Amino acid sequence: MSEKPKKELTKSQMLSKKITDEYMDEAFRAKEEGRIICYTTAISPVEILVAHDIIPIYPENHSVANLTAKKGAQMCSYVEGLGYSSHLCAYARCDLAYRATGFTVTRGIPEPDMFLACNAQCFTLTKWFEVLSRRGGGLPLFVFDTPQYIRDKRAREEIVKYCVLQLKELISLLEEVTKRKFDYDRLREVVKYSAEASILYRKFLDMARYIPSPISIFDALIGMAITVYRRGTPQCVEYYKTLCEEIQEKVDKGIGVLPKEKERFRLYWENLPIWFKFSDHARLLGSYGGVILTSLYVHAWSFEFDLNKDPLYTLSENYVSRFSNVTLEDRIDMALDLFQRYSLNGMLMFMNRSCKAVSFAVPTLKDILTKKTGIPALVFESDMGDQRFYSETQIRTRIEAYFETLERLGLAKNPA
Amino acid sequence: MWESMSLGEIIECASDPYPSMREWKRKSNKKVIGTTFADVPEEVIQAFDMLPTTIMGTHKPLKKAQALLPDNACSLARSNLELVLSYETDLFDGFVLPQVCDTTQHLSDIWRINLKGKYFESYLAPRQTDRESAKYWVRKEIERLIDSLSNFAQRGIKREDLEYSVEVHNENKRLLREIYSFKNDNPSSVSNRELFSMIKLSQQIDKVEFNQTLKKVRDTLKRGTRDGYTDVVLAGITCDPLEIYDLFDEIKLNVVADNLLVGSRYIQGEVDPGEDLIQKLTERHFKRGFFSPIHGSVFAEFQEIKRLYQENNAKAVIYVHIEFCESQEYDLPDLKKMAKEEGIPMHVIETEYQTTSLSHIRTRLQAFFESIRGV
Repeated sequence: MSEKPKKELTKSQMLSKKITDEYMDEAFRAKEEGRIICYTTAISPVEILVAHDIIPIYPENHSVANLTAKKGAQMCSYVEGLGYSSHLCAYARCDLAYRATGFTVTRGIPEPDMFLACNAQCFTLTKWFEVLSRRGGGLPLFVFDTPQYIRDKRAREEIVKYCVLQLKELISLLEEVTKRKFDYDRLREVVKYSAEASILYRKFLDMARYIPSPISIFDALIGMAITVYRRGTPQCVEYYKTLCEEIQEKVDKGIGVLPKEKERFRLYWENLPIWFKFSDHARLLGSYGGVILTSLYVHAWSFEFDLNKDPLYTLSENYVSRFSNVTLEDRIDMALDLFQRYSLNGMLMFMNRSCKAVSFAVPTLKDILTKKTGIPALVFESDMGDQRFYSETQIRTRIEAYFETLERLGLAKNPA
Repeated sequence: MWESMSLGEIIECASDPYPSMREWKRKSNKKVIGTTFADVPEEVIQAFDMLPTTIMGTHKPLKKAQALLPDNACSLARSNLELVLSYETDLFDGFVLPQVCDTTQHLSDIWRINLKGKYFESYLAPRQTDRESAKYWVRKEIERLIDSLSNFAQRGIKREDLEYSVEVHNENKRLLREIYSFKNDNPSSVSNRELFSMIKLSQQIDKVEFNQTLKKVRDTLKRGTRDGYTDVVLAGITCDPLEIYDLFDEIKLNVVADNLLVGSRYIQGEVDPGEDLIQKLTERHFKRGFFSPIHGSVFAEFQEIKRLYQENNAKAVIYVHIEFCESQEYDLPDLKKMAKEEGIPMHVIETEYQTTSLSHIRTRLQAFFESIRGV
């Protein structure tokens, strides 16, 4: 049997691999170089860690690698045997299994010296890090507490002030742990890199507005990795410059994920992805002329840092106002903006049983988005990482029925 | 109407306080403000001459809440939502909803969107308690709550209003503490069900009136016996339904200490006297015991449980786990391990709001305590 030819990597893919390899090499060398490893949440003011030469490690990303490799059921079951409930976050369950068994499809991640949990993303990460902190014999855990960014101008000002105060406390803790003075000039430089990368990242995501779209959400999910773990670095900026150039080339040539005449359903996705169904979903939807273009999740890293403001202030404003920490009304407005800008004509609303923070809003969000756009929604329940809660036949049947409904309502583009 | 209740009436009212709250509202013409767990400074609401009441679920059937929440949402969240959407909507003039975890944060949005026309305020308590910024933030939130209630009530409050309210609340807690202490030595005189019904009602009905009842209860307590009772410590967040206490009474368990929100953690919340009452309310926030969503150190929680167990010479710890409470689910495996390592017998009971059948809990409790008592 002949071997399947390997697909040649694009320039951005090669760059992504290089940046990731260098990052992990650096992380694994950290202990011998006397550097601190801080586990942190994907949404957290990591710029402060980078500015202080602390290596941020994201256990969520490591879990994603294992869940994408379809190891979720195996790892989650193991942890349930240790007394953890199957209702908990699949990232956490997967990570706790890794701690207990050492099993991973990657080279693993280095052990932490401390933790930074930002609850703008969710509360579960704080609890998960508490477990890890206990296991490490009480390693320092800093909770960057971001109260919900409620719709009240005065309250928002106060919330940001509270966040700034906490960032100062974080800096004091880092100075204490490292016995080194924090360098605010260096922070300004790091925030500048983050700001630049964020603009480019958003530009990349927004290329999904073209018809046909040159990227799907699956490209966005792959493309977001570097901003998640390398923001605040010049490498991150370079990566998104390269990526944008590549996608722009596709736009210029009219190359879409699907050919223009076959792109019939431009879809919104609510929630995190089902990692172990990543490519299957792309193929399945594509066969019906469907392509998921965006979600609020991938936009969570589209920061708008204002370099004219105090860096702690602009970091606070940005991290507290992520989609997962604003009111439901604001989240609806954010989603409607995507519907309009990306000419969306369908929505898949995923009730992710292991991410309650994002899923709580789904029923209400679906009702309001449907009412405001006139587009029906497909709601389905599963788990982002644990295959035991995924029903292949049921989801396939529902997707087929959903596209038929959109067709019947005259919402499909390029009608068959 | 709540000044002179018998123990039987207390139990009945604690099971379903809403009919009497409706009557109270009609007679008093005062506003009722619903809150949820935990830590809303209810003294502030009472200072505006409104009734602060902690909503603690309903035992009536679920009709609307299921369609609005994930299947594995915390059962208390689901039950509370059902109560306000289907059964007691018009009782409440407004809500002050604290955000202490993902569930409470997102639930407050769902309430606001589904209950238009009511007064709404979020109480954004800090989800960290060990740093100076937390103190700063609690004070800011109390001040914001006062401003918000002033807008709603169309009037401010005077220092005397807040002082009086604090006094009433403190008296309530002192009375509960006295009754609790008496019960510990005389479990045959005051049952677990009676005591915890008093604590629950204290968080729900008018304390000016209910304190009168509590004084009468205290003054008429008769010495009993502890013969045949096994002393236990109760841990967790809440213990619901109240019928679980009947099971404890049935198998002669004497709850001598606890760390529940509807228990000692509430009673601990006395506000110290002082010139700056807002500061004193702020300080109180940090005096209260462990609450899993805002306190990170399960080791500290365990030390507290161990202290209660040892100081009270208890025979076991009963930990109440509310199904689908994420916070508890992250803590529990380590907590169980610590108890095992220290040789403290710990029995975990799984509860769910709107539980109707308690037979499985009874069977497991009986088996556990038979082994403890060496029967």
